[in-house]
Amino acid sequence: MDKIENFLKKNFDEFEIYQEKSEYKSISFESNNLKEISAKQSQGFAVRAKRDSKITFSSSSNYDLDKFQSHFLELSNYSIDSKIQFPKKINSANTIIFNKKDFNISNNYFIDKLKNEIDSILKKFPNALCDAGFNLAIGETKLSNSNSLELEIDESLISFFISAQIINGNDMLNIYKYDTSVSNISEEKILLMTESLKKDLSIAQNISSTPKKGCPVIFTPHGLYQTILSPLLISFSGTNLSKKLSSLCDREGEQIFDKKITIYDDPHIDFSPSSRNYDGEGIPTKRNMLIQNGKFISGIYDLKTASESSKKTTGSAGRSLHSSPSPTTSNIVMKNGENDITNIIKNIDEGILVDHLLGAGQGNELSGDFSANISLGYKIEKGKIVGRVKNTMISGNAFKALSEIEEVSSNKESIYGSLFLPFLQTNNVEISS
Amino acid sequence: MNQNYRNIISETLKNVQSEYKEIRIEESISTRINYSGVKRENISINSQLGGSVRSMANGGWGFSSFNDINKAPEKMKESIALAKYNTNPSFEIYKNKPVKVEIQPVIKKDPRSIKLKDKINLLDHYKDIILSQNSIKGCEIVYGDTERRVIFADNEGNEIEQNFIHVILRIAANSSDGNELLQSGFSIGSLGDFSVVENLDKEVLGCAKKAQNLIKAPKVSGEETTVILDQILAGVFVHEAFGHLSEADNVYENDRLKEILKLGKKFGNDDLNITDGGKIPELRGSYEFDDEGTPSTKTPLIREGVLVGRLHSKETASKMSEKVTGNARAISFAYPPIVRMTNTIIENGESTKEDIIKDTKEGLYVKNWYGGMTEHEMFTFSSAETYRIENGEIKETLRPVKLSGNLFTTLKNIDGIANDLEINQGGGCGKGGQMPLPVSNGSPHIRIKKCLVSSG
Repeated sequence: MDKIENFLKKNFDEFEIYQEKSEYKSISFESNNLKEISAKQSQGFAVRAKRDSKITFSSSSNYDLDKFQSHFLELSNYSIDSKIQFPKKINSANTIIFNKKDFNISNNYFIDKLKNEIDSILKKFPNALCDAGFNLAIGETKLSNSNSLELEIDESLISFFISAQIINGNDMLNIYKYDTSVSNISEEKILLMTESLKKDLSIAQNISSTPKKGCPVIFTPHGLYQTILSPLLISFSGTNLSKKLSSLCDREGEQIFDKKITIYDDPHIDFSPSSRNYDGEGIPTKRNMLIQNGKFISGIYDLKTASESSKKTTGSAGRSLHSSPSPTTSNIVMKNGENDITNIIKNIDEGILVDHLLGAGQGNELSGDFSANISLGYKIEKGKIVGRVKNTMISGNAFKALSEIEEVSSNKESIYGSLFLPFLQTNNVEISS
Repeated sequence: MNQNYRNIISETLKNVQSEYKEIRIEESISTRINYSGVKRENISINSQLGGSVRSMANGGWGFSSFNDINKAPEKMKESIALAKYNTNPSFEIYKNKPVKVEIQPVIKKDPRSIKLKDKINLLDHYKDIILSQNSIKGCEIVYGDTERRVIFADNEGNEIEQNFIHVILRIAANSSDGNELLQSGFSIGSLGDFSVVENLDKEVLGCAKKAQNLIKAPKVSGEETTVILDQILAGVFVHEAFGHLSEADNVYENDRLKEILKLGKKFGNDDLNITDGGKIPELRGSYEFDDEGTPSTKTPLIREGVLVGRLHSKETASKMSEKVTGNARAISFAYPPIVRMTNTIIENGESTKEDIIKDTKEGLYVKNWYGGMTEHEMFTFSSAETYRIENGEIKETLRPVKLSGNLFTTLKNIDGIANDLEINQGGGCGKGGQMPLPVSNGSPHIRIKKCLVSSG
């Protein structure tokens, strides 16, 4: 990288060099049997450089440095206005985001674990077909800039998933569980996931009548994320705020949502693979309140979108090798309510519990609109979950859905290892079948 | 082929200690230009080099990918060691007749011959057209061209070098009346032809106008209704509604699905014919050899409503005792090949678009796409444009909709197929974490009765 650094010093006023090196391993079972073990190694670098207040970006994984330099110079003729300044190093938190030891756990351990879990499902559901796997990754990134910042960050991730399919006639039921952590997923957690998968399979095999239009709708933590939070969070991104494409633009402090809603972005949760002590531009991270008691507090910004919005970066720059940094959330945490989910369900005469969607996120998300087929949803009758609903769609708008909330549960679940969410009941959504 | 690659390949494949082994090496260089809001946001050139090796032992696979291609021989040892953890019954994998061949890219108008400055000027011009319209808040433009060289070799003597040049462009306009933000857009692409992204002034202006029209357009309420799909959306429909279930890797180890998707079973009406094929020339899903070195083919999937074929890799074809179809594809060297579609087409029927519309008393005319997804027998796809049909006439603009269906009923509910087949090349397909894979989809206008629709 010395050669690149000299080239940048000679031709530009300021620069940043980002280097990434990672190793992956995955062990996957398909249709109840071990199918493939794979390993992956990747490395590359990306450069941003400024001259006369204009910025240029490029990346490479082939280390043909002469070619890289000539491309970079050509691109710099079309560089883009930028007021950002690459930061100096400031000390940050010390959240645990790395565990090297677990990456070296033997393949046999993972194979045995997967086989065990699949066997336990097959024991109860002999006609099920299960896929399951572990994915492991360790990564080392180096970030340096012309403002003498030097950072070396080690990260690790282990994820586990298991799914089971049961076909009855023309009905295909598929249930999926997933978790991820910086270290190995504990045996207890895996056991809990397999048990909850078996429980879901038992209930979901009964197909219930489709619910009445206008019935109460409860979202599981996963359903809440997929249906409502995922389109909502797009409006909190500095990318859309800076371009005035977000409807939250210039509305900080305004009461937009139900008072029961408090959501923050927390990068300092130990062992969560989405945690980070520094963001992708070397800024120390912090907890960012997004919605407090229904009031919009702040969006999330990196250097570029902050400078374009006359705000400060919130330390939210995420990056992957081949693209410029952009604001991304870390762990999304939503404050729980007071009522236990079983009590919330108990009070419902006829309703629906939405868990997984098919086709979410493929429409006009900037407006907060959502619309999808409910691929896994349960019918509630007289306070009890009685079976699965089929061929039913849900649609609505994330802002409207959260403007008036019936219930937020006291129980929370961790989704994908980085979302910590309760169950939520809102009546401002449309069900059609 | 470059001598260095040749040496790496022979070093990696020598001393056969595995039932089957293969190596891929890939170089690529891509230019991307993005606009967002009111200005150019990003322009970059990314270059990549890497390779991967795959081997089979004990009825399962070992795979290893890397950027440092000089490490290929040791990575092959690693992949064989990984494959040996498998304990499945072994099977005889399909063997291709070995070929040594170098295939030059399809080139009509080479994007590499266009100066960066001219690409930017063209896109600046499109951006200006959009921004010059009233109530327009911004645009999203993504242009990309990629040059890819992929080398495949295996221990059966295949040595195949293929070269591809891809061009893609997505343009969208954002409009707003101050409250809500709305978007209209379109995507196009080609294999080796920059001219498809030129001379689009009319389409770009049309896109801005459509975004404006959406502001006042009402939303539909969720219901079951008759829908007429234009060629682009019908292409997405065939990909989602049927294409994914014709991929044999969903079926080959699933006895129940094998029964459900038995060849000879009737899935549609007599006028429904569906074909997929990488062999169909000069489209974004076209190639001579797939990523296992199998020659591409053209595969009839549905003939007169009856299931007659499916898409295979070497493994799925061997295990189902069916013919290979050359559909094993990997998005890059970093991933193993899996069964994928190429160019998927509903063939022409005998009606005309006009007759189908005239014959529709009440329903929706849905055009263009936002996206689509499949999960087993269920699928959804979304329109970018929607119009009400009343008494055989196209009426007012509505907001985009999401359509949802089920393999077993929706294909049979197709009750009108026009004779105006067109192929859209602006799409990309995602499966198993590998996306966007270049594919194309095509269809004439089709009508589906009783389709579940909700406001998108």
